[in-house]
Amino acid sequence: MAAVENKRTLDCAGKATAEINQFLRNAAADGVNEVEVLNPQARHNLAVSITDPIRLVFRGHVGYYAVSLCDHVRAEILGSAGWGVGDNLMEGEVVVHGNAASAAAPSLRGGRVVIKGSVGPRSGIGQKWGDLIVGGDAGYMTGFMMQKGRIVICGDAAGSLGDSMYDGAIYVGGEITELGNGVAVVEAGKEDLDELREMLAGYGIKPPKGFKKLICDGTLHHFDKKDFDVWKEVL
Amino acid sequence: MEGSSVKAERPTVEPAASDFPRLREFGGIWSPEAIEEIHEKADLGRYQIRGQATKRKDFPSFDDLVFVPSGLSRVALEGYRERCDTQVVIGEGRVKRPLVLERPIMIAGMSFGALSVNAKRALGMAATRCGISTCTGEGGMHPEERKYSSKLVYQYLPSRYGLTPYDLRKADMIEIVVSQGAKPGTGGILLGLKVSDEVAEMRTLPKGVDQRSPCRHPDWLGADDLPVKLEQLREATDYAIPISVKVGASRTYDDVRLAARGGVDAVVFDGAEAGTAASPKIQLDHAGVPTVAAVGEAAEALRDLGMKEEVKLIVGGGIKNGADAAKCIALGADAVYIGSAVIIALNCHRPLYVDDYARLGTTPYECCHCHTGLCPVGITTQLPKLVARLDPEEAADRVTNFLNAMTMEIQLFARSCGKKHVNDLDGNDLRALTHDISLMTGVPMVGLNGRVPAWRKF
Ligand code: SF4
Repeated sequence: MAAVENKRTLDCAGKATAEINQFLRNAAADGVNEVEVLNPQARHNLAVSITDPIRLVFRGHVGYYAVSLCDHVRAEILGSAGWGVGDNLMEGEVVVHGNAASAAAPSLRGGRVVIKGSVGPRSGIGQKWGDLIVGGDAGYMTGFMMQKGRIVICGDAAGSLGDSMYDGAIYVGGEITELGNGVAVVEAGKEDLDELREMLAGYGIKPPKGFKKLICDGTLHHFDKKDFDVWKEVL
Repeated sequence: MEGSSVKAERPTVEPAASDFPRLREFGGIWSPEAIEEIHEKADLGRYQIRGQATKRKDFPSFDDLVFVPSGLSRVALEGYRERCDTQVVIGEGRVKRPLVLERPIMIAGMSFGALSVNAKRALGMAATRCGISTCTGEGGMHPEERKYSSKLVYQYLPSRYGLTPYDLRKADMIEIVVSQGAKPGTGGILLGLKVSDEVAEMRTLPKGVDQRSPCRHPDWLGADDLPVKLEQLREATDYAIPISVKVGASRTYDDVRLAARGGVDAVVFDGAEAGTAASPKIQLDHAGVPTVAAVGEAAEALRDLGMKEEVKLIVGGGIKNGADAAKCIALGADAVYIGSAVIIALNCHRPLYVDDYARLGTTPYECCHCHTGLCPVGITTQLPKLVARLDPEEAADRVTNFLNAMTMEIQLFARSCGKKHVNDLDGNDLRALTHDISLMTGVPMVGLNGRVPAWRKF
């Protein structure tokens, strides 16, 4: 049996985006353990649609939609990320050492996206499953229309937090400017908190003293319960 | 106050406005319908929601245009003998695997969720037989739909329900939905009874919830971001398949221009007559531009950019037959999207199960109750008992027949105007019946033959 190749290196300088992504997809398909990506230069669409297991290390900043539409990928970004980092991740993990711009981890479907710094507005928007962890603060409308999963914000959260969420849970360590519509604050259980602390420790993020837990209060689940029942009775 | 405790007796059965036919003679702004609408809102405390399309009759329509076929000045094609081609290719010379449509017709996006799985199967079978595409609509790619449709357009929507990189790779075209004609600027609605176990699972929602979809994409907002988003989707599909943007007709010239410059292979728009499974009624009637008025604008935007051949124009919204489609093509569309028409071909409005229509408070031809999830003929429902009422094989035959008839109608106009390809029809083959439609479309008025009207002298 051929030995598993441990590592490849890719220098993005002077290469087309399609070439870079093809290199990464090929490496993943060949069963390479890790690719070190040099000079990402904040380019957009780095590591799109990689669905074989691989570890990627970006030495620098990445642009929009880095590590997006991926499955089974574990990526570390040693810099900051543009909009939509980890977009639609199925399974795997994306760790950003710096900050992330707007809409971090949009429509996350599984796995975990960890931003050690802060995130911009609309992060965790339409989250379907998995965890979004933010070491710093989160911009307005974070968790908007969240469907399931967990968002953990160690710092402060701006306005409309969790607005119109269907389900899932948001934990906030710092101040909340304003709750979104249809959101309730509940007591976080000890088990919950222990799990969060352990999770944060794994990424070297110092946990805040405590967490507020936000869930959907159910008021927006039905347009008008009264006529929903009427429809149910019709046939 | 004395007497305030006395309860008035209320009649138990309230007749409908239609039970008083003579009321219609009163006219004025407080028509029976306007009164009934206010009563309903006063009861519900919210806007009215319903399926189907606007019921306005005063929109300009394709009926305001007529064809001017061949005579001595032009030669017609021999109707039963000479070929009149119908093929349209999207993304030719731009992507590795362009979408080849054997006819200039596509089945519009209607979700599994809004539609039953049997309806999806039937549409897939019929489209495959006719060499045209179906479209997933919102809510993900149902495996049955992929199985039955040889050409499947995968909608990429703000909600991203059910989106996976694997399904993107299985698609034959991607349609990035920005807005839709029936309710431009707002998101979809799927009321609780239709959010069955399977629908909830595909969309990651609590079962039975009234789903309101977002109307803005979560991770890109405007024309500046579009090229970056497009590059992402091209990467996810290996630059193999065409990608379009869909917008509801509103500021059509600007929207089409921005989409084409953003780098799409096709622009799709649907006019204000477009259908829906659930929409605020007020919006169906008062938002968006009618299809016939927007086609010319859209085509002009592409011509002005010098991209009319390269970027295809797909137009939907209230297209009922081959005449509408042929006129739409003559005004600049490359293909038409049909939704409501094929739903009707499936059996919608058929006077079967009349008692169930009555239980919904409607009649077969008036029905617009798709939003309730209780479709009497099994099309827009998730209840197994109702879904079983639609036999996919039989329904596929009806849709195939309808698509064949419609194609023949389009060819009929093309042949009679002397065109060897249906897409060779152009504005010169048309005349306008009204001033309004002439102004909107740039098509000359009937009877004037391009002359300045005689009354201009006075
Ligand atoms: S028959 Fe079914 S599909 Fe047609 S309008 Fe009524 S509920 Fe909708």
